[in-house]
Amino acid sequence: MVGIKEQLLKEQSLDEQLTEIREQIVDALIKSGGGHFGGSLSVVDILWILYMKILRIDKDNYHLRDRFILSKGHACIAQYVILAKLGYFDSSELANYGKYNSILEGHPNMLKTPGIDFSSGSLGQGLSIALGMSLGIKSFNADAWVVMGDGECQEGQVWEAALLASRQKIGNLKAIVDNNGYQEYGWFYDKNLCKIPVERIDEKFQSFGWKVLTVDGHDYQALEETFKEAQSFTKGPCVVIANTVKGKGYQLMEDDPIRFHCGELSESEYKKISKK
Amino acid sequence: MHCGKILSRIMDEDPDIYVLDGDLADSNGAILVHERHPDRFIMSGIAEQCMVSVAAGLSNVGAKPWVFSFAAFLCYRAYDQIRIGVSQACTNVKLVGSHAGGFTGRNGQTHAAVNDIALMASLPNIKVWSPASPGNLQYAIQQMVKDPSPAYLRLPREPLADLPSQEKEWYWLQPPQAINILATGITVHIALEIKVLLEKMNIVVGIINVNKIAPIPESLVAEVNKIGNHLVVIEDHYRVFGLANLLSVAGVNCKIHSKGWGMEFFGESGDYVDILNAYDLNPSDIAREISNLI
Repeated sequence: MVGIKEQLLKEQSLDEQLTEIREQIVDALIKSGGGHFGGSLSVVDILWILYMKILRIDKDNYHLRDRFILSKGHACIAQYVILAKLGYFDSSELANYGKYNSILEGHPNMLKTPGIDFSSGSLGQGLSIALGMSLGIKSFNADAWVVMGDGECQEGQVWEAALLASRQKIGNLKAIVDNNGYQEYGWFYDKNLCKIPVERIDEKFQSFGWKVLTVDGHDYQALEETFKEAQSFTKGPCVVIANTVKGKGYQLMEDDPIRFHCGELSESEYKKISKK
Repeated sequence: MHCGKILSRIMDEDPDIYVLDGDLADSNGAILVHERHPDRFIMSGIAEQCMVSVAAGLSNVGAKPWVFSFAAFLCYRAYDQIRIGVSQACTNVKLVGSHAGGFTGRNGQTHAAVNDIALMASLPNIKVWSPASPGNLQYAIQQMVKDPSPAYLRLPREPLADLPSQEKEWYWLQPPQAINILATGITVHIALEIKVLLEKMNIVVGIINVNKIAPIPESLVAEVNKIGNHLVVIEDHYRVFGLANLLSVAGVNCKIHSKGWGMEFFGESGDYVDILNAYDLNPSDIAREISNLI
């Protein structure tokens, strides 16, 4: 994988790569009749920087690799596009996303898709699973990374794991929150109640004993620097709150985060927004 | 306590086994592991969902975790985590549900697990063991250690009294007769009480002790179908969707008389004998019903 990464970095800038990846995400979701546009587009910069600059994955010593879980599994098309780009499977598979007999299920399936470390889809479980992995790979000097949604952090199990990780002072567990400010429906239409999925999420993790870093989730350089800072912090668990825009890259989607949590795009809309 | 003792000895030879516990180690026997192998004992606190998922993650990177809690909290509180992290992912996670069944002592209904077999046996990949004696338990644990499949070990609150044990998934505890009782776990001892009551009426019954209840062993189905006649199935579980149902779905074609808790029972505070006599597993009642079959 190192060879492919170096090749990619030579051929295109990060901007060009991510523009292409975004197009592939939208393409794949259109072909599958719609899907989780918003959350896939908000998380993709985070994922690309992680895979290209941070995760230590060597196919010759695969069992010693850093582990990665996309706990907000509904955004998996972003991860699939990246895995295809990195050579885990042929990019022609993306056209079969979510279809019967495809190796790309609607939510990550570790038993079907190369490159998926653990299945996800039922929100809230990834942080605990990553904690288990981090305990088991400590001796390899490897890290377990997990990306969660901010809405996902409403699940109680997330905080069970946060408590235990802090008590354990686990130094090789790295969490990232794709903090895009929305969920599927939530309190968006409620006149009286707060709409933010988890208010003051940074303070909440801090109060649970975590090291908290915050970053612009679409600033490639800042992401790389912040992830490296997280990587080098080993006194306890670390979370990066990445502030993102749901639907990032397409104004139509950025303007309607509820519709595009899981929605469809008409042909005429697609023609208007496509960057091809 | 026996499970923790047996497992801690096995851990002497197997460096990959870890034990996780949900703050009940001194009630469920995991304490014996903590004392002998503190480096491989992970106290997870009162957080069963996290605990099961941590075990799934540990298993994914090569460890062999055993997760201990009361059956009620393990199976019900963490069912989605078992479904996804253990069953669907087919991880080598062993789940030990202590205090299973309707005999809860003073604890009462919140601590009763009377449909845990229904939940666990209906999850793909998960084997279910229900030993009736220390010897059965030793065999069950040894088999679970050898098999990399996920598994659920169901243990009652009452200590398991000794019985003639065989290293088999099921066996005849009393030789076959025209009417036979099939039981598992604590109900094997209830079956023995019923046998004594029936002998006073000059009725002799056979008793099958089933240690591995899911999947139902094919050899058990073949044996029961060969014998024919009546099979009285006694389980410390609701009558619905427990062992009797599993036997029926597995192809047992003789008449099954299902003895288990009725749907009016939630579990209740009380000594073993009080609960036994008050509800559907009353040995005298069952003996009388069996005598009416003759």
